[in-house]
Amino acid sequence: MKLRARLAVATILVMVPMTFALFWYDGAARHRAAEQNLTEFVFGQMPTSREACEAAPSSFGGELRPSRPPGPPRGNHPPPGDPPPPPPPGRPGPPRPRGARPAVVHAYDESLHSANPDAPVIPEALARAIREQDVAIASYVLPTSSVEILARMPWGTGPCAYVLARGTTDPTWGAVLPESNIWLLPTVAVFAAMLLALGPVVRRIRKLTEAVERSASATYADAVLMEGDDEIGVLARAFNAAGREIRSQLEEKDRREQALRHFLANTTHDVMIPLTVLQGHLATLREDAAAGKPVDVGALVSAMDEAHYMASLVHNLAATARLEAADVKLQRCEVDLEALVKRVVGRHKPIAKQLGVSIETAVPGEPVTVSADVTLLEQAISNVTYNAVRYNRPGGHVAVILERVTKESFRLRVVDDGPGIPEAELSRLAERGFRGNEARSRAPDGQGLGLHITLRAAELHGFRLTLRPSEYGGLEVELEGKLDAPIG
Amino acid sequence: MGKKVLVIEDDQELGAQIVKRLCDAGYEPTWWKEGRRLSRETLPDVDLVVLDLMLPGTYGMDILKDLRVFSEVPVLVLSARNDTADKVRALRLGADDYMTKPFWPEELVERVRARLRRPTLGRGDVVEVGALRIDRGRREVSVRGERVELTRLEFEFLAALAERPGEAMTRSSLAERVLDPERDGTERTLDVHVSRLRKKLGRGAFVETVWGIGYRLGDGRDE
Repeated sequence: MKLRARLAVATILVMVPMTFALFWYDGAARHRAAEQNLTEFVFGQMPTSREACEAAPSSFGGELRPSRPPGPPRGNHPPPGDPPPPPPPGRPGPPRPRGARPAVVHAYDESLHSANPDAPVIPEALARAIREQDVAIASYVLPTSSVEILARMPWGTGPCAYVLARGTTDPTWGAVLPESNIWLLPTVAVFAAMLLALGPVVRRIRKLTEAVERSASATYADAVLMEGDDEIGVLARAFNAAGREIRSQLEEKDRREQALRHFLANTTHDVMIPLTVLQGHLATLREDAAAGKPVDVGALVSAMDEAHYMASLVHNLAATARLEAADVKLQRCEVDLEALVKRVVGRHKPIAKQLGVSIETAVPGEPVTVSADVTLLEQAISNVTYNAVRYNRPGGHVAVILERVTKESFRLRVVDDGPGIPEAELSRLAERGFRGNEARSRAPDGQGLGLHITLRAAELHGFRLTLRPSEYGGLEVELEGKLDAPIG
Repeated sequence: MGKKVLVIEDDQELGAQIVKRLCDAGYEPTWWKEGRRLSRETLPDVDLVVLDLMLPGTYGMDILKDLRVFSEVPVLVLSARNDTADKVRALRLGADDYMTKPFWPEELVERVRARLRRPTLGRGDVVEVGALRIDRGRREVSVRGERVELTRLEFEFLAALAERPGEAMTRSSLAERVLDPERDGTERTLDVHVSRLRKKLGRGAFVETVWGIGYRLGDGRDE
């Protein structure tokens, strides 16, 4: 249902019963006032008319003279059944009020029979009611203008023991509503005004609907223009905000999709190169074996190194994928650095042995626990450790040293005696910080695999990473941080 | 007799390699090629479990959960997924250690060995490494049964190394422990004391120099 129709129906549903009830109440009040008047009239007139009635009961009946007394003031209802004292006889009544017909009275004996053949038969309901009270009033559903009462006279015997009186209501008696129905006019006017006022609102809503549909068809690129400070203006602004959010989400999704495609292409490329080298080494070994030549240990070690490199590469690719997300979330947990360092050294020890590089580790005797993302931190430390091994020479050394500096902080150093990195290059590396695409390069400038992951992971964890020449001529990478940093 | 290791690994090649390596290293492996629900009755008597997390049948984490209800046997978890949530979950469920694939066979054997090694007696009063015997309570050191007279500083140095035999200790941490900065000087003096100590201990590399780090207590064999 349309907004306006709904409002109209709701208003009518409330107004009609209300008006009806009001009219009924008004009618009932008038009726009550008329009953009251009629009762007073009968009790006022009958004592004087008793003689005439008892003298000629068969002809008594009709309008009484003098006419009926004035009605009570509007809204005054003395309790029924307690008739007021009859007015002094002979006093002339005021002029009959406008509208009310004169009361018609008939007399009945104790058994409710009238000697006058013109007298109407007393209705059964009234006859029953009079047994228990002095005045019985005919009941009604809808108050009409005619009023009927049956009264027991104070003497209670003879042909005029009961009197049935019939009269009508009068507009001036007991009315609640004004005489004229002009009062209905403002009510109807308010109703009309309401429906009219709804017009602009409905129009604004339609305009908003059109604007929203236009905006949606342009994937929320256009803003919904709607002036005004009213609720519809607010709704338009809320829709614009929602549209912007949807748009940014869509753009973010597109960006991620593209990054994923890009990432997949690069990953394939990066894994394929070492895989090809590995296949080459394996083929050489197989050919040498077929030719009966002794095993070329160098090729074998190179093959192992390629396999190891690929494993590191794949771990780094996974780490890069996490670090390249728009919103990097660290999954922090309590990390035992001693165990982590031992895992890292354990991972690279077999390949270091093959490459002729010794790798040693030292840990303090007491636990070193930090709050960190164990996968990222391990990959960060693994990268610098593997670089120290890979870019070393046979007979070279690598030492991974974990120390507690103070009660609250740790220091992890990876020291090697390899060729090292020139100072100028070191500061360039540190300044450059994180650059995604150089991450996966096959170390063209000798900086090593995944150093950016190490830098970025350190930064995310709030650890300080320093690269400097080691005292043995190689590189020293130092990672410093707080122990058990609050989880966040 | 070798220690018993239960290997739960569904991959034929990898499982066979692990089993062979463990045999070569002197362990007695049992190989389950699929995950099964474990109960007190179905768990064989083993000293260590190597558990692959990605298994057909029963998922590795469930096996771990089942196992921990009734057994404290060490569990080394193998996982192809290098994922923090997985590791944290496995450790919470009671795994003792985890390894991410790929790994070199040596690494696996080393990790199994580390897990099964008896707790070192380093904290006790008497430490014996190869032919070297250090009695911290009585402050006595002997090599091949012969008493060696050491200075206070030399003894402290050796006792410090003996707390964690086979593990390297940094020069600075050792210096901090045994040198009195007012009397004995700095780290450099440490090397002088060490060379004297080595002479007193005689043949055998009991005090090994570790490149870039410091020293380690060796068993005196590889010289």
